[in-house]
Amino acid sequence: MDGSVSPSIPVMFTTKTQYQLPPQKFMIPASWRRFQLSQLINTALSLPRIVPFDFLIRGVLLGGSLSEAANGEEETLEIEYIESVMPPTKLAALPHEEWVSSISCSVPGHFLTGSYDGALRVFDRGQTLFHTAPFHAAPITSFAIVPSSQQAAPADADDGDRLLVVTASHDRTAQISRVSLDGTRTTSTPLATLHLHDAPVADVASSQDGKNILTAGWDGLIGLWSAGIPESDEVPLEETIAAPERKKRRKVQEGGGTVKTKAPSAVLRSHTARVSAVEFSDGGNAVSCGFDSTVRTWDVERGLCSHTITVSEKPFLALAIPSTPETALAASVDRSVTLYDLRTGTSTAASVKFPHPATPATLVFAQSSATQFASGSYDGVVRIWDVRSATREVASARVWDGQKVLALSWAGEVMAIAGEGGVEVWRAGAGVEGGLQKETPSMA
Amino acid sequence: MAPLAPHRKRKQPIKEKSSDGSDSEHFPDGGLDLLSGDEDEDGPVQESDSDGVDAFPEIDAGSDTDEEGEQSPRDDDDSSESEEGGQDDEDALSDDDLHIFPRAKTAISDITGHPKKVYPEIEPDYDSDSSTEDAPNRVGNVPLHWYDDLPHIGYDVDGKKVLKPARGDELDKFLKTVDDPSAWTSAFDKNTQTDKPLTAEELDIIRRLQSLENPDASYDPYQPTVEWFTGKGKEEVMPLSAAPEPKRRWVPSKWEKQKVMKIVRAIRQGRILPSKPKTTSSQREFFAIWNDEPSSVHAPPLPAPKLRLPTHSESYNPPEEYLPTEEERKEWESTEKEDRERDYLPQKYSSLRLVPAYDQIIQERFGRQLDLYLAPRIQRTKLNIDPNSLIPKLPSPNTLRPFPSYKSLGFAHVRGRVRCVSISPDGAWAVSADEEGIVCLWEVIVGREVKRWSLGEKVGAVDWCPRTDVSFFVVGTEEKLHFFIPPNLPPAILTATRALLNPATLPSTPATPSLVKWVDLPKVPTLETPLLSVELPPSSGLVKHVAWHRKGDYFATVSSGGGQGGVWIHQVSRRHSQAPFKKIKGSVQLVLFHPSKPHFFVATQRYVRIYNLAEQKLLKMLIPGIRWISSMDVHPSGDHLIVGGYDRKLCWFDLELNDKPYKILRYHSRAIRSLHFHPSYPLFASSSDDGSIQVFHARVYSDLLTDPLIVPLKILRGHDVRDGLGVLQVKWVPKHPWLLSTGADSTVAVWCH
Repeated sequence: MDGSVSPSIPVMFTTKTQYQLPPQKFMIPASWRRFQLSQLINTALSLPRIVPFDFLIRGVLLGGSLSEAANGEEETLEIEYIESVMPPTKLAALPHEEWVSSISCSVPGHFLTGSYDGALRVFDRGQTLFHTAPFHAAPITSFAIVPSSQQAAPADADDGDRLLVVTASHDRTAQISRVSLDGTRTTSTPLATLHLHDAPVADVASSQDGKNILTAGWDGLIGLWSAGIPESDEVPLEETIAAPERKKRRKVQEGGGTVKTKAPSAVLRSHTARVSAVEFSDGGNAVSCGFDSTVRTWDVERGLCSHTITVSEKPFLALAIPSTPETALAASVDRSVTLYDLRTGTSTAASVKFPHPATPATLVFAQSSATQFASGSYDGVVRIWDVRSATREVASARVWDGQKVLALSWAGEVMAIAGEGGVEVWRAGAGVEGGLQKETPSMA
Repeated sequence: MAPLAPHRKRKQPIKEKSSDGSDSEHFPDGGLDLLSGDEDEDGPVQESDSDGVDAFPEIDAGSDTDEEGEQSPRDDDDSSESEEGGQDDEDALSDDDLHIFPRAKTAISDITGHPKKVYPEIEPDYDSDSSTEDAPNRVGNVPLHWYDDLPHIGYDVDGKKVLKPARGDELDKFLKTVDDPSAWTSAFDKNTQTDKPLTAEELDIIRRLQSLENPDASYDPYQPTVEWFTGKGKEEVMPLSAAPEPKRRWVPSKWEKQKVMKIVRAIRQGRILPSKPKTTSSQREFFAIWNDEPSSVHAPPLPAPKLRLPTHSESYNPPEEYLPTEEERKEWESTEKEDRERDYLPQKYSSLRLVPAYDQIIQERFGRQLDLYLAPRIQRTKLNIDPNSLIPKLPSPNTLRPFPSYKSLGFAHVRGRVRCVSISPDGAWAVSADEEGIVCLWEVIVGREVKRWSLGEKVGAVDWCPRTDVSFFVVGTEEKLHFFIPPNLPPAILTATRALLNPATLPSTPATPSLVKWVDLPKVPTLETPLLSVELPPSSGLVKHVAWHRKGDYFATVSSGGGQGGVWIHQVSRRHSQAPFKKIKGSVQLVLFHPSKPHFFVATQRYVRIYNLAEQKLLKMLIPGIRWISSMDVHPSGDHLIVGGYDRKLCWFDLELNDKPYKILRYHSRAIRSLHFHPSYPLFASSSDDGSIQVFHARVYSDLLTDPLIVPLKILRGHDVRDGLGVLQVKWVPKHPWLLSTGADSTVAVWCH
C-alpha cells in the first residue's frame, strides 16, 4: 500500500451491522476507495468469508475516493460501514402469457401472482404452476395475503397451508378468497366480494393482525373492510353486461359454496382523485397516496384523515412503508421516488428524492432493513436504493428491456419481479437466510 | 465717297505691283522692266525709311485724341494732295513699295539647271539695319517736356548736350510746306524735336489702314490656287484601295427596305397607329403636381452626407495643445485601425509647403471602390439596438411546470398507422384505432390493453363522449359510425349509457326521411359489438373527424367524400342527423363546436369559418394564410383558436380581434398533423410529420388588454417517421399534464411530466 505518498486522513469506523470494529482511529490514505476500505475491514476482522462493505460518510454513500468525500477537511472522518448490496442475479423465470400486476413471495415456498387475465396463480419455488384461480373477469390490479387470524379462518383455523387472499380488480370489486396450498392439489375458494367502488380498485392491503382490509379505488375512495366473511349478502348484486358470464363461471367455480357480497365497514373519503396505493402502517394507521398529489395518513379506527402531505403535481403511483414508522416512500409519475416524513406538518422539507430515469411503478422495502428499498420502473430496471444515498442507486438490474416492471416482492434474499414480461425471480440483498440459501440451487 | 475713288484707282496698280513682287512669272515682261528700272532710286528712300520707323507711333498717339474731328480734314487734304501730285508720286511710291526688301534676281542654277532666285549680298555695315542705328538723343524714355525750357533736348552717347534744332515760326512752316514737297509726308519727331519725312513703307501702311486693308503689303488675298492632284499628269497612279466598288454603294439597301416594310405592314394592319392620340379624351389633362403627396413608392433621394467640419487638430499647423504626447502617439499606433478613436494624428508643419502627400490616399480609394462595389443602393436607417433586448422576455420553461417532458410508456399496435386516439373524460382510459381496423382500449398510466375490437375497415376517427354520466365512444370508419361502451362500467353508468344508445322507446322518426340510418345492431347487448351504428350516405367515404359538443348530445362528423362537404351533425338522443350545409365552398377539413357558445367552426382548405348555429348565419371568416389546413383546436375559454397547416405553420387567432392570426409559429420542419389544447392546464401541443411533438405554454388572460403568452416549452421526440408520416394525433389527458400521441410507427406514446 502506497500510503506513504498520499496524505492520510484520520478515520473512525462505526457500524450497526454485526461486524463491529473496536473504536479506534485509523490513518487512511486519502486516495483509498471503497474496495480498499472494504478489504481493510475484512482483514481487520479476519472474516472467514469476504463480506463486501459500503461506506457512508455523513449519510452519503462513498462513491469515489476518500479525499473527494472528505472535501479537504482535516478533522476525523466518521465512516459508517454497511454490508454492500450485491448486484441482483437472476435465478429463475415463471412463464406468464399475460402481464402480471402483482406478486408475493411472502408465503414460504410459494409465489402468488395476480395477472391481467384476472387469475391468481400459485407457483412453488421450482417454477411449477400449482394452481390457477380465475377470480375475476377483469384484470387483477393487486392482491394481499391476509395474515391468518382466528376471525379470518372461521371453519378450520389451524391449517397453516390455508391462505386468505384479497384480490382487487378492474371490475370494481375486491374479493376475499381462500387458497389451500396443497402441492399440485392446491384449491381456491372465493368467499366474499367487496362492493364499494364505482371504478377499478387500484390497491388492496391488509393489516398485520389480519383483521382489516383496505381497498383503494380509482374513484378516490378507500374502503375499510373487516376480514370476516358475512353470513349473508350485504349488498344486492346488480345486473351488468359482463355479469352473466362471470356469475356463471363463479357458480361453476364455487361448487357448492356461495359467494357473499360484503359492504365496507368504513369509507375513507378525502382523496380528490384516484387513490393509487394504500398501506397499513403500525398502530392501526394507514397511509395512502393518489393522483391528487397527496400522501394521507388515516386513523383507521375513526375513519379520519389525520394528516395530509400535499405536493404540487406529483401524481403518486406507488407507496412503501418502511419498518420504521413515520416515513413513507412514494413514487410519482414525475420520475421521482420521495421519502416523506409523516410526522412533520404539511411542509415537505424533510423529504428525500430519488431520481429515476423512467416512471417508477412499484416500490418495496427490504424485509430486514429500514433503509434499503427497491423500485421497479417502466424501463424494465429494478433499482435497489439506500435511503442514505439519494444521488445514486446502490445496485440495479435490467430485468427486461423496455418492458415495464409492475410489481416487486422482496423477501429475504429473493426478489420476485412481476411485470409486462411475466415474472422473474432474482437474488438480491445482503441478508442471508439459511432456508433460502439451501433452496436456491434447485431454482437456478 | 468721292475721296475714296482715287484710292481705289491707286489700289489697282499697287495690287498689280505687289503681286508682281511675289510671283513675277505670271506677268508680262513689261512689268518686269518697269520694276527693274526703278531700282536705282532706292537709296534715298531707304535713308528716310530709318527715320520713319521711330516717328510712326507718334502719329498714332497724336491721332488718338480725337479721331473724327481731325480725320476728315486730313482725308480731304490727302485726297486733294494725292490728286495734285498723283502722277509725280506714283513712281516714287511704287518704288518705295518695291524696295522694302532687296529684289531677287532669277538665275539659272548651275547645279540643277532650274531657275533660282538670287538675292544681293547683305552688307553688314552700319546702315544695313536701321535698328542698330544710333539715335542722337540718348536721354531715354523720359517725358520730353522736361526739356521744354532748356536749350537742349537731351544728351548724345558721349554725354554731350544735343541742342534743340532751330524751329521756325508759323510762316516758315507754311513756306516749308510750299517749298518742300515732302513736308506733308513728314511727321514731328519728339526725340529730336524735328520733322522727319515718313518712309514710303510707312506711308503705304498708313494708306492701307485708311482704306481698311491688310497693312502687310506682301499679303495677297487673291492668291491663285495650286493644283496639286488635278490636271493632266497629276492623277494618282496607285489608288488607296484596289477593291472594286461594292454593290451596296449604288444598290438600295434591302435590309432597310425590310425594316421599312415591316413598319408599313404594321401600319396597314393597324398595329402601329401613326397618329395615335395621346389621351382618350380630346381635352387636355391638367395635373396639380404640387397638391399630391410625394410618391411613397420610391424612396426619397438620399441626402448627401454632411461632412464634419475640420477642427483644429486637423490643421496642418495646429496649436501645441492639440499635438499628441508621446504616450498618446504610442497608444494610437498600438490600437487596431478599427478601434482608433480618430483616424489621424495631429501633426505640425511650419508651413503648408512642408505638408507631405496624404499617405492614406491609396487605402481610402481602395476602400471607396470596395464600398461602391458592395454598396446597396438602399437607404438604411441604422438602429442602435441591443440585439438581446429584441428577444422577447419569456419566462423560463422550468417555472411553467408541469408539462410533459418524457415518454413514460408506449402502447404498440400490431401494425398499421395509428390515426386517432381519444381519452375518456376521467382520464383513465385511452382508445386508439389504427388503419387495420383494430380499436384498442387501454389504461393510460399502465399501457395495458383491456379490450380490443376488430372492425375490419379503416378507422378514421375516435372520440369519447364528453358526458360523465354515460360512457361510450364513437368510432368513425368507412361510411359508418359505431358506438362502443368500455367494459367494467359501474352499473349506474352502464344502464344510463344503454338507455341512451338503445332506448326502450325509439324517438319518433322525423317526417322527412334522412339519408343517414341509425341502426341498432345487437339483439343481446355485448361488449364485442357496437351498441349502435350510424350509416352515413353511400360514397361519403371515410369519416376522418369526429367532434363532440361539450354537452355530449350532438356530435359532428366530417367525411372525406359525399355531398354537403361531408359534414353531418348528429344528435344522439333523437337519433337524428342533419347536414348543416347545403353547399359549402372548398373541401371541409375539420369542424369544431365552440365550448360555450352555439358557434361552429368549419375549416376548409384555406379558411376557417365560424357559424352561429342558433341564428343560422356566418359570423366570421378567419384567414390563416395557410395553404392547406390540417388541424384546428379551440381554446377551452372559446376565445382563441389555433390552426395548423400542412405547410408547417401554426396560427394563433384571437377571436375577439380581426380575422388575421395574432401569431404565426413556424417551428415544425414538416407538416403539422394535429393540435390540441389541454382542457385545464395552460398547455397546447402540436404534432408534425417530422416525428416531433412540440409543447407550448399558452396562458390566456381574462382581461382583454393582455396578450396571450405563448412560450415554447419542450420538443418531444420518440416517434419514428414512416413513409413521411410522423406523429398523427396528439391528445391531452384530462386533469393531468400528460400527453398521448399516435404515430405512423403504429405506437401510441404517453408523455408524462
